[in-house]
Amino acid sequence: MNPLRRFAFEDGSDLAVLVAGLEQRAPFEREPNRTIDRTVYDTFDWRLFEARTVLEHERVTAISGTRKSTARTVPWLIWRSIDTGEVLGRLAMEQVGQFVWDLPNEPIVERLAPILEMRALQSLVTIRIEQVSLRLLGDEGKTEARVVIDRAWLPGADDPLAPVVEVIPVRGYADSAERLAELLAAQVVLRPVDHDVVEIALASVGFNPGGYRSKLDVSLDQAGTARDAIIEVLEALFAAMMANEPGTRADIDTEFLHDYRVAVRRTRSVLGMASGVVPERLLEHLRSEFKWLGDITTPTRDLDVYLLTYPEFEASLTESMRADLRSLRSFLVTHQHRAHLELVEGLDSARYVELMHRYQHWLAHPKREPGASDPRRVPRFNEPAVTFASTCVWKAYRRLIKAGRRITVESPPESLHDLRKDAKKLRYALECFGSLFVAGEITPLIKALKGVQDVLGEFQDCEVQKGSLRGFGESMVTENGVASVPAVLAMGQLIDQIDEREHAARQQFAAHFESFDAKETRMHFRTLFAPASDGVLRQTDDGDVQHDPNSDALIDQPEMTESE
Amino acid sequence: MKVLATYNIKGGVGKTATAVNLAYLAAAEGARTLVWDLDPQGAASFYFRVKPRVKGGSEALITGRRALDRAIKGTDYDNLDLIPADFSYRNMDLELGGAKKRTRRIDLLLRPMAKHYDYVILDCPPSISLVSENVFQAVNALIVPLIPTTLSIRTFDQLQAFLADNPGRKTRKVLAFFSMVDMRKNLHRELMSEMALPSRDVLDVRIPATSDIERMGVNRAPLPAFAPKSRSASAYQSLWTEIKSRL
Repeated sequence: MNPLRRFAFEDGSDLAVLVAGLEQRAPFEREPNRTIDRTVYDTFDWRLFEARTVLEHERVTAISGTRKSTARTVPWLIWRSIDTGEVLGRLAMEQVGQFVWDLPNEPIVERLAPILEMRALQSLVTIRIEQVSLRLLGDEGKTEARVVIDRAWLPGADDPLAPVVEVIPVRGYADSAERLAELLAAQVVLRPVDHDVVEIALASVGFNPGGYRSKLDVSLDQAGTARDAIIEVLEALFAAMMANEPGTRADIDTEFLHDYRVAVRRTRSVLGMASGVVPERLLEHLRSEFKWLGDITTPTRDLDVYLLTYPEFEASLTESMRADLRSLRSFLVTHQHRAHLELVEGLDSARYVELMHRYQHWLAHPKREPGASDPRRVPRFNEPAVTFASTCVWKAYRRLIKAGRRITVESPPESLHDLRKDAKKLRYALECFGSLFVAGEITPLIKALKGVQDVLGEFQDCEVQKGSLRGFGESMVTENGVASVPAVLAMGQLIDQIDEREHAARQQFAAHFESFDAKETRMHFRTLFAPASDGVLRQTDDGDVQHDPNSDALIDQPEMTESE
Repeated sequence: MKVLATYNIKGGVGKTATAVNLAYLAAAEGARTLVWDLDPQGAASFYFRVKPRVKGGSEALITGRRALDRAIKGTDYDNLDLIPADFSYRNMDLELGGAKKRTRRIDLLLRPMAKHYDYVILDCPPSISLVSENVFQAVNALIVPLIPTTLSIRTFDQLQAFLADNPGRKTRKVLAFFSMVDMRKNLHRELMSEMALPSRDVLDVRIPATSDIERMGVNRAPLPAFAPKSRSASAYQSLWTEIKSRL
């Protein structure tokens, strides 16, 4: 498809004159003029926008014009490409469902599902549009391109925005669209523009498409100090917490809480690395308070996960057992609701308010903290950020390698759980401080680490799920008596299946860890992060490594003091 | 992606009207839909006002010299595209005969379309040929319009026999329905009740013989586009609903 061509009207020009002028120059057919209420939808993290698409609900409120109308006035949900204007799919619907599973089972929904996943659609803005559209006809009366002229009113506005004129190409008729674009470009009242009315409308109500991403996005100053880097990362994480707090409170979808928790965990991880940079007394306070904050969000998240996994649970059972399992679902829904109420109480508590107040104040004025620049209390605060970050990553890496090599098939589940935490710490250190290093060097390391994290995650999920299902079963029997027996039996079946998955993950661990602990990756970590005293690698011209007594002896080196 | 074909050994049974109207209804529901007008007569292309011409003709498409997606034309309707007919399609049997995997060629050509379309509807020429054998391999379902006449039903039995001998795609369904039905004719009523046997799986919906359907050629548009409230349009809607439930 050709890119969409878009023009804006110069102020004070006359739309009718333009249309009449166009109609004289080429064979056009006028569509009936339409008045449309167009509501724009996206998820909180702009998944549709990131896919360069836009989802709009259009309700035609009036039709008039030159041709007898046969258009039906059913409202449509229309999914379009931002770049080409191509309609990717449409659905006739009165009310837009909140989740993909609330939408009808149609092909367009199957395509939306992997983009939206579990995120709620939120209506962002509604604009009123008066639309004039013309079809450029070919020899046989075939539409070969369209011109759509939108005059839009922003919410609450008395006057419309300057009309926007778009050339919508029809596949296979590129020449006609090009001809039409040239015709429009030659009109003095028009000038080419990039933004369409939807983008203008979103901006008018304070939305910045793509403005929120769940991925941590900081770009640290390589010339900065350790304190600068820590504060900047924590500020970004605090912003992520604040961005997700309202959605967490309102329980719009599960991912607000998820992203909130990730920000809290990353914060705790950074606080854990900050010894010697931030005064210890403050650190101790923050570490314990953020641990509390993490803890009060856990019960809701756990139940969210079971509700999200429920369809998979169901699918893994036989038809008759599926029906039996239904009371587990209602149990989960009830308990999730309760847990969420308690979570909101926690977020409303004086403890939370104080923590946020204190924390925010410190982030804004880190130097005002007593002892903040006292070298006796914070010997590393002025250390170059790169040196500090390297130490953090190197420490986390060595710890993971050391612990990972100790894992055998006999190791208890707890040691795998601890290893998972170590892997997470390394991941967070790489993600938080990655921007201090050469772009492109960090991504392959994260990718290598991800293999280990995935298998550890699967193992841990299985371990936790088995325990939880047993716990749910007991609670269900206590709450509902014998009525819950069929569900508990079905859950027993689930536990058996999870046991198999856990066993498989356990078997796969060694291979994944070995591939992460490959020589190449070790060298990569060492080259990037090892302090000079740890032995510097020298490489010959052909990339071979010469005499490096430590490269294969990581675990033989003395363990550095842990800050936690 | 589901591939459907409107097919009958016999001509003049309402194949093209069915292909065009079903495609329109699928697209109107939001499914990305592609019609391939395989009939060199180009009736489907005519209904969509698209010139029955493909650069390089049948040879270029079948040999892959011209990618199938470069032959696609957008119709006047959202989500509804067309690969037009070309007069050279009358030689398609010969091109297919010379190709590798001669009975699976169309299936292979359509595979890459799965990323872009939810439904492909093939409007097939009548008769049993290498083209139709290719179609039998490519489709999830054959949509077979039947006029309730003795001859039409005889050709349906011939088709069933042929398909039984040439199994093709395992999951393929044969969905027949009565088309151009005139309930005032005793013969139509009698034959339809005779056909209502479990061995001959015929859909419940019947498409009446109406002048609306004939007007498609005058308006050069799918019936539901210009007469959405007509009896025939709602019959096609029911047909589409029933077909979807059977896929």
